[in-house]
Amino acid sequence: MLRMKNLSKIYRTHMIETHALRGFEINVQQGEFVTVTGPSGSGKTSFLNIAGLLEEFTDGEYILDGINVKGMDDNARSRLRNEKLGFIFQGFNLIPDLSLFDNVDVPLRYRGFNSAERKERIEDALAKVGLSSRMKHYPAELSGGQQQRVAIARALAGSPKLLLADEPTGNLDTQMARGVMELLEEINAQGTTILMVTHDPELAVRSQRNVHIIDGQVADLVRKAPTLVQPHSHTA
Amino acid sequence: MFQYYFMLGLRSLRRNPALTALMVLTLAVGVAASIATLTILHVMSGDPIPHKSDRLLVPVIDNGPLAGYTAGDEPNDRQLSYRDATNLLANKVAGRSTALYGISVAVEPARKDLPLFNARGLAATSDFFNMFEVPFRYGQGWSPAEDKSAADVVVLSRKLAEKLYGDSDPVGQRLRINGQQYQITGVLDTWNVVPRFHRIIGTPDGAFGDEDELYLPFATSVRHETQRNGNSSCSGDIAPGYQAYLDSECTWIQFWFELRSARERGALQDYLNSYATEQRKLGRMQRQAPNKLYDVREWLDYMKVVGNDNKLSAWLAFGFLVLCLVNTIGLLLAKFSVRAAEVGIRRALGASRREIFQQFLIETTVIGLAGGLLGLLLAFGALALIAMQSKALTVVAHMDWQMLLLTFALSVLAAVVAGLLPTWRACQTTPALQLKSQ
Repeated sequence: MLRMKNLSKIYRTHMIETHALRGFEINVQQGEFVTVTGPSGSGKTSFLNIAGLLEEFTDGEYILDGINVKGMDDNARSRLRNEKLGFIFQGFNLIPDLSLFDNVDVPLRYRGFNSAERKERIEDALAKVGLSSRMKHYPAELSGGQQQRVAIARALAGSPKLLLADEPTGNLDTQMARGVMELLEEINAQGTTILMVTHDPELAVRSQRNVHIIDGQVADLVRKAPTLVQPHSHTA
Repeated sequence: MFQYYFMLGLRSLRRNPALTALMVLTLAVGVAASIATLTILHVMSGDPIPHKSDRLLVPVIDNGPLAGYTAGDEPNDRQLSYRDATNLLANKVAGRSTALYGISVAVEPARKDLPLFNARGLAATSDFFNMFEVPFRYGQGWSPAEDKSAADVVVLSRKLAEKLYGDSDPVGQRLRINGQQYQITGVLDTWNVVPRFHRIIGTPDGAFGDEDELYLPFATSVRHETQRNGNSSCSGDIAPGYQAYLDSECTWIQFWFELRSARERGALQDYLNSYATEQRKLGRMQRQAPNKLYDVREWLDYMKVVGNDNKLSAWLAFGFLVLCLVNTIGLLLAKFSVRAAEVGIRRALGASRREIFQQFLIETTVIGLAGGLLGLLLAFGALALIAMQSKALTVVAHMDWQMLLLTFALSVLAAVVAGLLPTWRACQTTPALQLKSQ
């Protein structure tokens, strides 16, 4: 699903060069749930931004779902991002003056779906995260956990192949975090590949594989047996 | 996507109401100032008779004295003497021609409730009505035969006819003017030609004055020695008496030719030159100045109907619009800078830079449309204020549909131009940076 080979990312100013990633290698299979851990400044976010086509890398190779992304122009990268990827952020990143319905609608608009298909997808996605009844509400009217569920619905609405999550439970209390984590596991069980950056060792051990990054390089790969997900009700 | 972006644009108007209101107001004020001055310029400089403006020509022949004249000087006057006017009326080149001059008469109404009053009129030949396509409400103008016989006939303006006879048709009735009975042959409909190109000289408000109240045949007016109302230019002494005045080189008559085709202009010029040469043999026109012909647009230009002050006002108004634009750019930068997070989110969700550019540009278009709407109201207000300044400005200070469309176009264009830099900057947002900082 995602393969990076000898990838490097260097931030340059007129004074200094910072190597965020160097000789970075990773291979994520279709359907995997991979957590990425590492100390602050280790390169986790740079990795996630490059994986999400939000930043360009300096050198190396990056294959996303069989497509070599090197040298792609902004339009092609944006289209690929829209079709293949879903994002979940620590700060939820919902657009405050759009209703939940319209927030989930945003990536579908860029995809070019017609009105009927968009409506169906939005309703399905919000139903999946248990927020069908609040479609007309605005983000400020929801709890943090509910906002993150909307962000997950938005990420899922376009049926992405890879879900990128950057500390998705970082701003949530334990109970809400558990609910979000269970939802992600359920989504993964349905076949969506998930790549999640986290600081939380407890969440890291729940994934199938943990990638530890230190100084811009993969330090450790731990493969575990897949977690069995039980059906459950959502709480937030 | 246009519809989606337009809807987002409408929503964004509500996002920072104070900032939005300030932007819309800034744009509206700039647009209103520009449109108000441009409207006046547009009406003033418009072609009053576009389908034949190149076929209606004014001759300028310099019959001034040689003393004190240097070659290249401006002609003595733009009007003709009686001798030249009557001679040129006999030309065989133009399809139609008319000589005209302003008159002032005393009208004695038949109605007992109306006292005697003075009216401003025009003495012209019968071709006048067809040449300038004067609209008639009742009847018609007089005939060439009545020109020839200097018949006592009159055409009234609609305003004067309504004053004297109400709404009824007075054609055939007799009206006492300057103690003589005149038969009414026609009543004009409202004749709002702007600028009044045929009557620039000798009226208080020039090309933007009121229409004349009545029309008499040129020969009749001369026969009755009707009081002139206009400019007259005489050099040297003239003998006493009206006939001496007619025989003099005094210039007081405006003259117009109408050609059948604009291609005949050369032939008319030749005719004018040969006429002047012939007159020189008689001891006249010793200046040997070039004889000139001006079509309607050239005539308006030559007579400086649109003054330099009007043009300067328009430039100043556009300068003000530029100032407003600079302010709008600042306000848009402020408005869009707080949207960096949204740009980051949209980019992460699949929007390309081009799509963000389109979205923000359409948002500025919405602001432009709102500014145009308010600008239109302000422009109407400004024109109403301008119209209150003078009678002449009342004629020109009105907006037509062209200017109305231009108001919106200018406002949207101004907003888009103002929005280019802020929109470009919004597109440069690094999504990763914005998403992390949330």
